[in-house]
Amino acid sequence: MLESLQYLAGGFVLATTFQNLLYCLIGAVVGTLVGILPGLGPIAGIALLIPATFGLNPTSALIMLSGIYYGAMYGGSTTSILINVPGETASVITCIDGYQMAQQGRAGPALAIAALGSFVAGTVAIFGLVLLAPPLAEAALAFGPPEFASLMVFGFVVLSNVTGSSLIKALMMAVVGLILGTIGMDPVSGNARFTFGYAYLLGGIEFVAVAIGVFGIGEILVNAAKPAAQLEQHALVPRFRDLYPSLTDLKRAIGAILRGTGIGFGVGLVPGPAPVIATYAAYTVEKRLSKHPEEFGRGAIEGVAGPEAANNAATQSAFIPLFVLGIPFGPVTAILLGALLIHGVTPGPLLIAENPHLFWAVVASMYIGNFILLLLNLPFVPLFANMLRVPKRILLPLVMLFCVTGMFSVNNSVPDMWMMLGFGALGYVLRGWAYEGAPLLLGLVLGPKLEVAFRQSVMISHGDFGIFVNRPVSLVLLLATAVFLLLPLIKRAVRSLRRKTPPPPPGETGSSAPAQGQPR
Amino acid sequence: MPAAIALFAFGAVTALLSLLLHLGTLRAPDSGFFPLVLGVMLMALAALHGVQLYLAKAPAAPAAEGSARQVVLFVGAVALATALFDTLGYTLVSFLLMLGLLQVLGVRKWYVSGGIALVSAAAAQVVFVHWLKIPLPEGLLSF
Repeated sequence: MLESLQYLAGGFVLATTFQNLLYCLIGAVVGTLVGILPGLGPIAGIALLIPATFGLNPTSALIMLSGIYYGAMYGGSTTSILINVPGETASVITCIDGYQMAQQGRAGPALAIAALGSFVAGTVAIFGLVLLAPPLAEAALAFGPPEFASLMVFGFVVLSNVTGSSLIKALMMAVVGLILGTIGMDPVSGNARFTFGYAYLLGGIEFVAVAIGVFGIGEILVNAAKPAAQLEQHALVPRFRDLYPSLTDLKRAIGAILRGTGIGFGVGLVPGPAPVIATYAAYTVEKRLSKHPEEFGRGAIEGVAGPEAANNAATQSAFIPLFVLGIPFGPVTAILLGALLIHGVTPGPLLIAENPHLFWAVVASMYIGNFILLLLNLPFVPLFANMLRVPKRILLPLVMLFCVTGMFSVNNSVPDMWMMLGFGALGYVLRGWAYEGAPLLLGLVLGPKLEVAFRQSVMISHGDFGIFVNRPVSLVLLLATAVFLLLPLIKRAVRSLRRKTPPPPPGETGSSAPAQGQPR
Repeated sequence: MPAAIALFAFGAVTALLSLLLHLGTLRAPDSGFFPLVLGVMLMALAALHGVQLYLAKAPAAPAAEGSARQVVLFVGAVALATALFDTLGYTLVSFLLMLGLLQVLGVRKWYVSGGIALVSAAAAQVVFVHWLKIPLPEGLLSF
């Protein structure tokens, strides 16, 4: 513990250099803008900015990219509250009560509580990261190839289970990503695979091309297809003096913020789109605990405070599996893993021991970034909200130009641009067919790691696949995977059993049904 | 259903191409083993999904909302920009790309779209070429 704090102090020294502070500020501002602009989430935002970090050292690059991630969580609430359109998926739940508050002329307090809640949650969660990451990294040193292989399979299945509506569709996307990850040089033998004699493919599928294509270009195309009337949104921007919440607002919000922080931190450690799940869980808890549940959906400030705190806490704690195990449990951390690998840093149990400067500087920058975001989001919310006035007809071509430029700058390669465009078209088609892009990206990033871990395990055991079930940690992970795979079947069986049970006579039913579209 | 068929075909092609690689043995799997397993797995999942859709008699998946024409024009404009990227150079391509995309999105007045495209191309030139020092192709304007 004391050692961690000493390292953290060293991290602060590194994070407060002029250069790193500047990149932290840039990341926070860009993240806020990415969060504010509907349709451009943190995944696309980070993917677009990766090429801009190539001239930086890995520490500064990660400081900036992390800033975009948690900055987007702050910014995402702004559009939810002002125009009822979530800036990114983790802010969907904030629309319910945030927009209602705005309709009642209380957009200012809603925005302020969202920013305060995000700050408290972010700060507390970073402290949890400092305490938990080093001991977990030591424990993870005992992991061998079979444990890592089972952990990755577990991650795929859980992510597939919680993203989108269909498990089978998500699993198919993960397998497609894994197949794409096999293109290029075999990571074990060095043989060329699926390159068709084309030297360009020897290096494998360019991760940035897939990320910008599927998430950036795909999103642009979805927006470009919309009729003009649906494309533009109009926001009522609050004035600076209207921003401050009353003492009653603060009293009601503080409990929700602390509970949301706890929920978010816990959920962030579990595979899946943690910030999204955390917001739903926090909202449900607040509604259940509230003395005035009838206010939820009509502008309850707890309905803004809890979820906003939860999504920020989950954002920070999601860094723990990334740093400690080297395995991203969600799409955004998958992109960050790709960025780290591009910079020559391999996250995993040895990261803290081998790159302590990077790890502790990034953690320290998170404290600083949260403070910067609080400063940005309280007084400058009206300024950021004005971004919503830029017509999408102008914004979309600009983002496209940025994608094209960013993609070329990765390898100064026109074929990369073709690949990005191809994956952009694929991203658009996948959205039309209701397929998720996140498992595909995770498969692409983790594919080579999974293959190496799998082949090493089989070689160690001389072809005995029992190695995956003979080792306790691997067995537990595989059993958990089986539970997650069977969960939809169990749910379906329970549902059909309930349907067969005759309904209770009138008068014995529950008192209140949830309002449509709200979680219970 | 078209998605399930496409994914099944992708899995089948992967599996077939894997057979052309060294498969190795169970004790020491080689280059083709892992992709073969993945190809077969994708075929199985796609087949299962196809059966699910058939049994549920689900209606065809809804097409992407909005105008397909706009999307084709958008993709076409970016494809043209990519094809001409080296020949015309970054500045000219960024101007033409912006102009084209603004027109596609309904900014019809030429002086408005032209003005925005000109300012964007100039700003991109300053930010990416002069500040970030990205070696972008100069093309026709290399003088």
